[in-house]
Amino acid sequence: MTEANPVVLVIDDEVQIRRFLRAGLELDGFLVQDAETGAEALRWATLKPPDLVILDLGLPDMDGSEVLDRLRAWSSVPIIVLSVRSNEAEKVRLLERGADDYVVKPFGMAELLARAHAAMRRHVRVSTGEPVVKVGPLAIDLAARIVTINGARVMLTPKEYRLLQLLAQHAGNVVTHQFLLKEVWGSPHLHDTHYLRIFVRKLRQKIEADPTQPRILLTELGVGYRLAVPEPASQAAAG
Amino acid sequence: MAAMDAVRRELRGSAIALVMVAATTLVAYGLIQTLDVRRGSVIYLLPVLLAGWHLGLVPALVAAIAGVLWSGYFFFSPYYSYYLSRPNEILNLVLFMVVALVTSHLAISMKKQTEIARKREKEMGDLYAFSRRLATTSSAADIYLAIEEHLANLVQRKVVLFGAGDAMALSGEMGTGSPQKTRQTQGLNPDQDALPQRVHAAIADLQAGRTPATTVDDPGGDIWLVRRVSQQNADFGVIAIDLGSIPAGALDEVRQRVDDVLADAAATLERLGVARVLNEARMRSETELLREALIGSVSHELRTPLASILGAATVLSKSPAVAKDERLNSLAGVVRDEAERLNNDIQNLLDATRISREQVRPRQEWIEPQDIVNSALERRRRRLSGHPVSLDMDSNLPFIYVDPVLVEQAFVQVVDNAAKYSPAGSPITIAAKRNGHDVVLSVHDEGAGLTAKESAQIGERFFRGPRLAATTSGSGLGLWIAKAFVSANGGKIQALSAGADQGTTVSIHLPFATPASEPEVGPDD
Repeated sequence: MTEANPVVLVIDDEVQIRRFLRAGLELDGFLVQDAETGAEALRWATLKPPDLVILDLGLPDMDGSEVLDRLRAWSSVPIIVLSVRSNEAEKVRLLERGADDYVVKPFGMAELLARAHAAMRRHVRVSTGEPVVKVGPLAIDLAARIVTINGARVMLTPKEYRLLQLLAQHAGNVVTHQFLLKEVWGSPHLHDTHYLRIFVRKLRQKIEADPTQPRILLTELGVGYRLAVPEPASQAAAG
Repeated sequence: MAAMDAVRRELRGSAIALVMVAATTLVAYGLIQTLDVRRGSVIYLLPVLLAGWHLGLVPALVAAIAGVLWSGYFFFSPYYSYYLSRPNEILNLVLFMVVALVTSHLAISMKKQTEIARKREKEMGDLYAFSRRLATTSSAADIYLAIEEHLANLVQRKVVLFGAGDAMALSGEMGTGSPQKTRQTQGLNPDQDALPQRVHAAIADLQAGRTPATTVDDPGGDIWLVRRVSQQNADFGVIAIDLGSIPAGALDEVRQRVDDVLADAAATLERLGVARVLNEARMRSETELLREALIGSVSHELRTPLASILGAATVLSKSPAVAKDERLNSLAGVVRDEAERLNNDIQNLLDATRISREQVRPRQEWIEPQDIVNSALERRRRRLSGHPVSLDMDSNLPFIYVDPVLVEQAFVQVVDNAAKYSPAGSPITIAAKRNGHDVVLSVHDEGAGLTAKESAQIGERFFRGPRLAATTSGSGLGLWIAKAFVSANGGKIQALSAGADQGTTVSIHLPFATPASEPEVGPDD
């Protein structure tokens, strides 16, 4: 993370939601810039490139997904989408269009911050080349391709490792079924979710203390999988 | 073939006529030999009359000619020759032939009259039976069945009823709709698809209320009579009757009779109050729609401020001033918990609206059953914190093909009920097991339990057990929603309890199937 306070752009047309987001984010050390409309948001994003974007889908002037597209056209800034429940298809669509994660309204501040920090950490990891992702007792060394639990080496098959690698690269954020299927098995298997279920079950048996109650490899019903929020890099380095 | 049959029939008749003439000749010969009768040619009228009456024109003419020849042989000089010379003989021939003509004609028209009289009698009998059936029937479905059967009997061709479904569906509300009757009504129009295109068009026309009745010529040359069951009330449906290739003159007569039958039937439908019931049903569904639209929009409006309240409460509890003051912190917690509860109630209302609008469309995928349980428990972690929860899940459950989000929401409802209707501190056991061809997700509590009467009603919309309705909050929607979501996924919900205060076990049964293809697992995978 940079020394200066990170800048977050909050795009929401509801004044009360902007107010509590501002309070919560400022408490967490962010500098908050908010925007009421899509057009205003896009102007701010170019004027003062943010370190994080929080985007509500229901905007008065344009569709939230259009804002997403136009931001993604030139920026890889982490974007968290605020969505309404019971529309998994829409969540998947937004994730595929480049959103890093979503939270479902109504949500608690802690949940939003966890998603936001995970997305920002991935950004930092990609730019600094930080190779090790730690989640509880699990450590994944992406450079050495070594997985350990409490320091003990875990043997994975190539596909199991590929799956865990993809999740680790997005640690803390959701990864869709379709993305995983495409990356591990290829485009013809985009809808074979049971492939994924079988390998996730095997993976959990190797990395979870109790595979029936996973703490590391979590399921997002109807959307995909999420590796639990990783420990911050500094702590990982210290531990 | 018909022509051949006719020729054969005439030949047979003629042969019989000749036999009769021969018999008459034997009698005539006897008379001549014993009594020396010389004026007996009239005796040959007997076979002519008999043949004309029973066998028809041709045999009668054969009998007439043969008779004249024989009478010439016996009764006119030169005797014992067939030669016709006397004017008397010519006259006899003409006379016999006229008798043959008249008799056979009389016989034919007589037979026709009898036939018509018999047919009328049968029709009257049918109509009487039909009226009696209408008088004793008490459901619309029965009436429609009677109309169809009676008309089919009358025209001896295909009769198809349309658009009477609403009225028939409502017959159950009039107190007599039994499963058997429902099955009959479904069988009423088994092959509407086989109807000609033009008949379909005419039916659509009538259903739209443009005309009360019409006739259609289908490309096969058949004439169809299409009309409304009731001239006054379009709701009673449309009937299409295949009349075959009927002559234009007969059409009016048939139409008149169909009119009579339907007038009777329509009157009975009116008497049963079908129109009123239909009307009420329409109004009820409009009210329902309005109510649901209202619930939908209000719920949506309520959610936005709730999102702010809940979010703000979580920010408050984290702010330094509140975080270090335990009382303030717990108050912020109250705001958060209650906002969450309100949000759940609103979600239930929205779900209920979705269910009654039949907008629940499962997005099925293969899923690990435990994932559903774990996700539901995660969402209800705070609510379950007052209970020791024990988990009993098989580690190798088969995958199920369901909409995981719907099943999770159903399971959350079941978990909510367990937490709500059991005392704080009492244990809750959650299990995921395989049972035969089902995966069973169950929640067991040691709370209020169910009486036999409550067991029967649980899961009905808005049902709340009267024992606890006063002391626990709720809308009576939860289990109803759970039921709808589970059955949308081909499963079922069961609630078992040994009785009041004996605890309850609610289980969700979901059938599993084997995925079509397994991933190929090689040594490199």
